[in-house]
Amino acid sequence: MRQRVQPAVVSGPVVEPAADLADAHASLADLDREAALARLFDSHHTPLLRLAVLLGAEGEAEDVVSEAFYELYRKWNRLRSPDAALGYLRAVVCNLVRLRVRRLQVARKHADHVIESVGSPEAEVLLRDDQRVLVEAIKRLPPRQREALVLRYWLDLRESEIAATMGISAGAVKSHTSRGMATLTRVMEGRA
Amino acid sequence: MTGADAAAHELREVFDTLTTSVRGAPNGYPKALTEWRRRERRRRLVVAILATVVFALADAIGLWALSKANVNTHIIFNDRPGVTQTPKGGIGPPP
Repeated sequence: MRQRVQPAVVSGPVVEPAADLADAHASLADLDREAALARLFDSHHTPLLRLAVLLGAEGEAEDVVSEAFYELYRKWNRLRSPDAALGYLRAVVCNLVRLRVRRLQVARKHADHVIESVGSPEAEVLLRDDQRVLVEAIKRLPPRQREALVLRYWLDLRESEIAATMGISAGAVKSHTSRGMATLTRVMEGRA
Repeated sequence: MTGADAAAHELREVFDTLTTSVRGAPNGYPKALTEWRRRERRRRLVVAILATVVFALADAIGLWALSKANVNTHIIFNDRPGVTQTPKGGIGPPP
């Protein structure tokens, strides 16, 4: 008598090759993202901290930069290209510091005295007397003018890059830079 | 050096002086990465909980509205059940 051969039954979960490939692709993308972020963090963490301090983040500079990196980590897949990451980080730092400055301005209306500084307290000790006057003038500048000056004269960015970072037009950058510089030049001339 | 150049030069000098002592913590990346992953997990959990709550609320409101509706009030046809006459002259709405 002829015996029918039963098909072998494979026990256990059925693995779909397509799902497996998608998982592998996702984990590879995650690894890519983390490797790129590690490189960015190593090379740009300190400069971004300094940028935050110059813009007026003071003691919150570490938090601001950390938040900027987290935003980048979250939105990495939405970047046009990995080269856009640094510009995005700068823009987030500028926006977060601007929010902080606005919050402080509101607090100042309700408080008698608000401590504010431009650089780190250790650095302010190193300043000469003539530089202190300039720092005081920088403190009093409107946030946009201060941002434009820091991005232009400290980071040496081009007008188009400053415009992209601040989210304004190149004409507005020119206007903020020249107004800020005119105020500081007047202060320097008055000091001499 | 013109006045503007001198001002720019001095401004750069001041910015450099202000930032010399600012440095990030050494080997901060592993700690930062752990923090980002923790925040991302938390964010996803919060979004999932919110979506579930909104979905459950919408379901509950829908079921409550249906249970409160009068059986005899029809939404689509403006007539009472059992009263409608069948059209006599063929196909068409009741007179």
